[in-house]
Amino acid sequence: MAKRILITDDALFMRVTLKNILTQNGYEVVGEAANGVESVELYKQLKPDVVTMDITMPEMDGLQALKEIRSMDPNASIVMCTAMGQKNMVLEAIQAGAKDFIVKPFQPDRVLEAISKLAA
Amino acid sequence: MMKVQYVSPFAEAAVSVFEMLVGLTPERGQLAARPQLFTTQQVNIVCGITGPVEGLVIYGTSMNSALKIASKMIGMPVTQFDQLVASAIGELGNMITGNSASLLAAQGFGCDITPPTIIRGTNVKITTVDIPALVIPLNLKELGTFEVNVSLQERKKIAA
Repeated sequence: MAKRILITDDALFMRVTLKNILTQNGYEVVGEAANGVESVELYKQLKPDVVTMDITMPEMDGLQALKEIRSMDPNASIVMCTAMGQKNMVLEAIQAGAKDFIVKPFQPDRVLEAISKLAA
Repeated sequence: MMKVQYVSPFAEAAVSVFEMLVGLTPERGQLAARPQLFTTQQVNIVCGITGPVEGLVIYGTSMNSALKIASKMIGMPVTQFDQLVASAIGELGNMITGNSASLLAAQGFGCDITPPTIIRGTNVKITTVDIPALVIPLNLKELGTFEVNVSLQERKKIAA
């Protein structure tokens, strides 16, 4: 069965790009969230195998959403996917339980490598 | 006077983001100073910076260039500035600003950034707290030109 992915990014362009990369490589994109609040809500409903999470978003940022999802489900697999690659952001995300940290712009292979490790 | 050390990270980040995203290396033009932040470009991406260094950055380009850049990003030719194109162009600004913030953090200025806002229309003048702007034009060859307007200052320390 195809692994189920929830995409979180406020930019429509990024959601479309990630969805194309993932669906072309055999993953099922079960949901798309445009901010942290939507991501937490969709996580509860959909129980995806992996979540991609942007950081800079309106309503609720990705670090906060990461923490909320991990407190609901300590086994949640969340990959950060953001333009904010500074060291303290990476550290905060990893300490909060993020499984990987992808800095935008990225090559499709970088995303597939991260997801395949988690969805194996 | 605004410090040039705040501007170089933006030029550096813009060059590497364009290399990765559209596969060409922009040429950096002559740095220019303006007393205020304004833009005469048709498509402008505004990003805010908050933290020990704060202010605004505006990326400006022509409609024609914006469509060419978006076509490369999306992977197929686009001719209308629709929602997907606006989102791609906004994300371009977000990537450059995010990568710049990482470079600023490495200099000891750990900043946060705001989601991008797109303003279309020429002669946009943005009034902020009198921070002068530094402008770096980037030559994107067949894609046209792309201006980076940086208006940042160190946060004033509040007296105890």
